[in-house]
Amino acid sequence: VMRLTKPTLFTNIPVTCEERDLPGNLFNQLMKDDPSTVKGAETLMLGEMLTLPQNFGNIFLGETFSSYISVHNDSTQVVKDILVKADLQTSSQRLNLSASSAAVAELKPDCCIDDVIHHEVKEIGTHILVCAVSYTTQTGEKMYFRKFFKFQVLKPLDVKTKFYNAETDEVFLEAQIQNITTSPMFMEKVSLEPSILYSVAELNMIDTTGKSESTFGSRTYLQPMDTRQYLYCLKPKQEFAEKAGVIKGVTVIGKLDIVWKTNLGERGRLQTSQLQRMAPGYGDVRLSLETIPDTVNLEEPFDITCKITNCSERTMDLVLEMCNSNSIHWCGVSGRQLGKLHPSSSLHLALTLLSSVQGLQSVSGLRLTDTFLKRTYEYDDIAQVCVVSSEVKQS
Amino acid sequence: SNSKDTRSTSDEDERGDTTQQKAQEEILFHEETIDLGGDDFESEENETVSEDLNNFVDKLNEQMMESVIISDSPNNSEDDTGEFGCLQEIVEQMEAKDNQNAQVQVDKEEFLSNESETEHEETPKDISEIGTDDQASLKEELIQEAVKEEPKLGSSVAVTTKLNNTDESKPEDQISSTSTSKPSSEVEPIPVCTIFSQANNANSQPHLFLPDGFEPQMVKSPSFSSIIENTVKSNPQVVQPSPSLSKFFGDTVTTNALASDFFDSFTTSNFISVNNPNASSSVPEQMSALANGGDGASSNPTFTVQNGRPDEGAASSSVEVNQSPKPFSQIQAVFAGSDDPFATALNMSELDRRNDAWLPSEETRSVLIAVATQQYSTMFIDKENLTMPGLKFDNIQGDAVKDLMIRFLGEQAAVKRQVLNANSVEQSFVGLKQLISSKNWRAAVDLCGRLLSAHGQGYKKSGLPTSHTTDSLQLWFVRLALLVKLNLFHNAEMEFEPFGNLDQPDLYYEYYPHVYPGRKGSMVPFSMRILHAELPQYLGNPQESLDRLHSMKIICAKILENLEHGIAEDGSMTNITPENRQASIQLWRSRLGRVMYSMANCLLMMKDYVLAVETYLTIIKYYPQQEPQLLSGIGRIFLQIGDIKTAEKYFQDVEKVTHKLDGLQSQIMVLMNRAFLHLGQNNFAEAHRFFTEILRIDSSNTVANNNAAVCLLYLGKLKDSLRQLEGMVQQDPKHYLHESVLFNLTTMYELESSRSMQKKQALLEAVAIKEGDSFNTQCLKLG
Repeated sequence: VMRLTKPTLFTNIPVTCEERDLPGNLFNQLMKDDPSTVKGAETLMLGEMLTLPQNFGNIFLGETFSSYISVHNDSTQVVKDILVKADLQTSSQRLNLSASSAAVAELKPDCCIDDVIHHEVKEIGTHILVCAVSYTTQTGEKMYFRKFFKFQVLKPLDVKTKFYNAETDEVFLEAQIQNITTSPMFMEKVSLEPSILYSVAELNMIDTTGKSESTFGSRTYLQPMDTRQYLYCLKPKQEFAEKAGVIKGVTVIGKLDIVWKTNLGERGRLQTSQLQRMAPGYGDVRLSLETIPDTVNLEEPFDITCKITNCSERTMDLVLEMCNSNSIHWCGVSGRQLGKLHPSSSLHLALTLLSSVQGLQSVSGLRLTDTFLKRTYEYDDIAQVCVVSSEVKQS
Repeated sequence: SNSKDTRSTSDEDERGDTTQQKAQEEILFHEETIDLGGDDFESEENETVSEDLNNFVDKLNEQMMESVIISDSPNNSEDDTGEFGCLQEIVEQMEAKDNQNAQVQVDKEEFLSNESETEHEETPKDISEIGTDDQASLKEELIQEAVKEEPKLGSSVAVTTKLNNTDESKPEDQISSTSTSKPSSEVEPIPVCTIFSQANNANSQPHLFLPDGFEPQMVKSPSFSSIIENTVKSNPQVVQPSPSLSKFFGDTVTTNALASDFFDSFTTSNFISVNNPNASSSVPEQMSALANGGDGASSNPTFTVQNGRPDEGAASSSVEVNQSPKPFSQIQAVFAGSDDPFATALNMSELDRRNDAWLPSEETRSVLIAVATQQYSTMFIDKENLTMPGLKFDNIQGDAVKDLMIRFLGEQAAVKRQVLNANSVEQSFVGLKQLISSKNWRAAVDLCGRLLSAHGQGYKKSGLPTSHTTDSLQLWFVRLALLVKLNLFHNAEMEFEPFGNLDQPDLYYEYYPHVYPGRKGSMVPFSMRILHAELPQYLGNPQESLDRLHSMKIICAKILENLEHGIAEDGSMTNITPENRQASIQLWRSRLGRVMYSMANCLLMMKDYVLAVETYLTIIKYYPQQEPQLLSGIGRIFLQIGDIKTAEKYFQDVEKVTHKLDGLQSQIMVLMNRAFLHLGQNNFAEAHRFFTEILRIDSSNTVANNNAAVCLLYLGKLKDSLRQLEGMVQQDPKHYLHESVLFNLTTMYELESSRSMQKKQALLEAVAIKEGDSFNTQCLKLG
């Protein structure tokens, strides 16, 4: 049994000299005669000669385990009815990997039965390849032996995620993928498969003059222990966005699908489990800003638009109060009726206010009272606005 | 299966005993033992592993594939014990590797208990069947253990070995053992070198080193001391060969006398001369005779005068000069003309200037200027600024192939192995070249050493003042280059050490105005600088290599810039004809390209693929004719990373520039690249098809042959693959007895059968006939 990892390319050590040096062209000739060098460019270290894997190497989750199984008759007798069975035992299951389960009628001396098995490893930890051979000798004796080959499947990647909730119901997902193997890894594909609630936009390409370029530049691979950061923007799909109540509590965002390649195209693929996020709780009534100017003049009124959403299960009858703070002064009547608001519905509200203090000011002081339950919801620090004196703004 | 049950209980008892004996070991394995025992003797095929697994999972973190347990046959036949033997073998290796005792212990004990049973069943003749090869290798591993193990383990191993040979199931074990074994666990046949500690050096010539260890060395021109003695003038163009080396370097040397005799007397005398600075007037007559004897090459203009050192060794140089009055007179003549600009110009050949040009550091430059301007006054130079090399180790002569033959094929077969050694060739450059081209590099290293000893830079001479000549440095280059070729990097590093950064003043021709009048530049061959810069990367310090290569690159670029600005390489205002300038530019461009090549290779070793690829791309500028090869190489780099798409892109670029090659070559390259691409796509069948395609147009293509065979293996055609490789080796051993081919072949032998040893030995015999002493025997995997 031999594990078939991809072969490697032979590298040679170039030693050159010049014509005037003592050995003349001897060294260069030696390199030319060496079959492992690249003809015409002998100094190029990386040759073209393939060499077979020298040891078992490492195997990682998501990669394909390939192995050559050869049963060779070393004896001088012909044996009959040879049955070769290769099973892979993991901590949870036992898989049969043999291509055929039919017995071979006979095996002559110095002949062999060959099989190449493949298996995509899906579990971490100890795997045991169990090869069982049964045969009948010439004297009719039934013989049987087994071989066990154990190997460990390791984790190739470390994935960390982070969510950012935007005011606009968008969710940004930051995923850090670290190569924890010992060899460079080419990331063929890292994509987010969103759940049905969301549509996804990948933010890992820069669109420069019509040609999109990866944010990772020309470095298409991850060195051992390198980490890459991928960014995704998830938007709730229209049909769900309307019903604000739907996206509440723990929601399933989707899963990351990662395909990588290593030496000579050895491929691996992994998916994360469903990524979940805790949607920010908005309480019963959610107040969000739709529009607000970024810079306003001192002591001049400006408009903002708010959206009030009923996130509760019941209908509300709301009253709006506006409380002035040191700097923020609301214009209009405080304590006005907003009317009934049904569950999962929202209303837009235009408000006017002015600031009496320069600088970055926080918009605060909105109070909503549900007259049914006599419950008051306070909204402070809704947004910030930059207040400048009118001369500055004009100039 | 009553008997089975009782057996297994008795097993457990025994195990218990042994366990107690090894009370210092972990307790864990006791349970494990029982589990394993149960599995061995009671379990049926299908219920097996799942139970054991849980035990194993925690305890073994070894990721190498290894054989865990070997099961029984239903009949408890001899296979049974045989497999324990195999297990033992693997376990031994494992332990040698990482001393993972708990598990090992279990297996061992298990084996022991079985052994005790089977001893009754087995006939004694089996025990006598102990295979020599296996035993040998096992014993090596055992030695490591013997320290802490009970003696009885030793006996168990002996049985193991026996069983191994008779075992049905060995193929798997063979392979698994190769797959588990790390090179470090094997006893590598590293040639033994005697290394002289440097402490000895101080003792050999204590009086040269004053206690403070920091002695300014007086530097004066030999002409200063000796000009009074002789005023005979003769033709300055006649150049006398070096008295010390001409005998060995001359092409027309006829003598084949044993060199050692000569060296002895010569080195000794040199020694004396250094010791007795005042003895210069009383030189033995024989010395001059020696120096002149057999000097048929005196008219050979490539040999330059070597008359000693201008440092404190001036005494010795005057000895040498005085030994032979005739050449001395000629030297005087040269000296007389040395401040004549015309003579200087005449002596400075165009080629020399072009090749030897180098830009010394500021410090070195100032010393060189001082030497040039203060010819008649005394000056002092720190010893630290002088290059005092010496051989650091005794001969590494040895023939690993022969050693293996003695081990595996017996003395008689080994006698047939005939390779050239340092004694069997002419003690000259000719002999040296002969050794190199016959791939007897170890012997060639030796011969270099002898010739250097003759120059006074032999063993224990490191740290002693000496002088340098073009030839001595070339010898050093050859010796060091061969050491690198032999992968003896540490040895090369040691001997490189006294050379510092190859910028010491005494490595420049200007330092020896009397010996190399008018000649400028560095004595250090450019290739030696490359070698020096590349060396650290093989010793795990690629950053140092890059640093050295960068400073070389800067100097090469500066020289090119000088040339392009109409001045000489070294920045002087020498007039150069346009043709010569062009030739110079060409030479230095290719040298710069060579430096870039080394940088790219170094970056590749560092796995900094992005920079490596960038550097390879810039090389195309210097070696445009190598563009197809370079682009293919870059494609292969991307394949190695796994970036198949980019690889494909480069392979397509190759097809656009293949017109730079001749038809056949370009065809092969295109096919080869396509084959590699299929390899990257896991399509071994297609890859094989393309490699075979290459063989159709060039049946002797080693690479395609080898690669096609490798593809066959991945396609499950072991026998076909073997047939192809064996066929190659038999038909054309000259090309196919290559490390990589043989490595593949032996790997497949091991996969094929437990009889691989015989086939490997056959390969050894083939190697013995064709290959020199530099053959890397590790690829035969006989150890």
